[in-house]
Amino acid sequence: MSEVRIAAEPRTEFGKGAARRTRRAGKVPAVVYGHGADPVHLSLPGHDLMLALKTPNVLISLDVAGKTELVLPKAVQRDPIKGFLEHVDLLAVKRGEKVTVEIPIHVEGELAPGGNLLEHNLNALPVEAEATHLPEAVTVSVAGLAAGATIAAREISLPQGTTLAVDGDTPVLHVVAAQAEEAAAGAAGEGESAEG
Amino acid sequence: MLIPRRVKHRKQHHPKRSGMAKGGTEIAFGEYGIQAVTPAYVTNRQIESARIAITRHIRRGGKVWINIYPDRPLTKKPAETRMGSGKGSPEWWVANVKPGRVMFELSYPNEKVAREALLRAAHKLPMKCRIVRREAGES
Repeated sequence: MSEVRIAAEPRTEFGKGAARRTRRAGKVPAVVYGHGADPVHLSLPGHDLMLALKTPNVLISLDVAGKTELVLPKAVQRDPIKGFLEHVDLLAVKRGEKVTVEIPIHVEGELAPGGNLLEHNLNALPVEAEATHLPEAVTVSVAGLAAGATIAAREISLPQGTTLAVDGDTPVLHVVAAQAEEAAAGAAGEGESAEG
Repeated sequence: MLIPRRVKHRKQHHPKRSGMAKGGTEIAFGEYGIQAVTPAYVTNRQIESARIAITRHIRRGGKVWINIYPDRPLTKKPAETRMGSGKGSPEWWVANVKPGRVMFELSYPNEKVAREALLRAAHKLPMKCRIVRREAGES
């Protein structure tokens, strides 16, 4: 995965007033931490960051006052309605360092006919990989799977240099038989018995 | 209908209506969902009505998740009663829904049918809603 270069400015004022001023200027407040060093508070250009974060686990090369630092997005806070970025936590990494990240799971193929549904037990797969060679996604084939079939974490083929960061027996995808209308009505009617 | 089995206090203050949803803003279980865009109190009757609208439209072959629970009682004094003499009796059970909350989720193989089912359910709810789809990939 290629690096994305973003120019960052150090942040000197803190609190909600300062953060809102930063956002009004089209920037996003951010913090960089990792390797036991003190956290560094930054502001990043909003549009560039938004484009960079479209790639999962994107490796960002930050230019801060002439110095370059490699970071990975650790936690991203967005507005739940409008979706704009409110704050980003960035994890400092080094070349060759192993990191644990969650990579998205892409599903391909059609399930066996008969109204089967695919249930995601894990929305993303935790893996350990080199910070500069993180896979973008894993693809899992569910072609022909019938109800009751489960795909465990160890059954997913990972790219070279990537290892699982969860127990291999952890179910990732599960095929269930479709829920009948009567069954749904029964399940929702359970709480009717008593009143506070 | 959804009603708590046992509560610590029968009569409570009205829940706060301000602010945005702190969690439950993304699809966690299904493929499609109904997201609240404005705040509202959703009663247990409205939740049940929306659930029936979904299940009747998809018939078989889908799975529905309800992510909100009506755990707050609202009281009402009887009509033509003088003020005073204590708080009214519990009348409704509501879920206090803030903007951004994904209230219902649906897993169904056909997108067109799934969206229509959720749209019918959204018409039963007291706030502005939008239909969202599971996002795979963004950080």
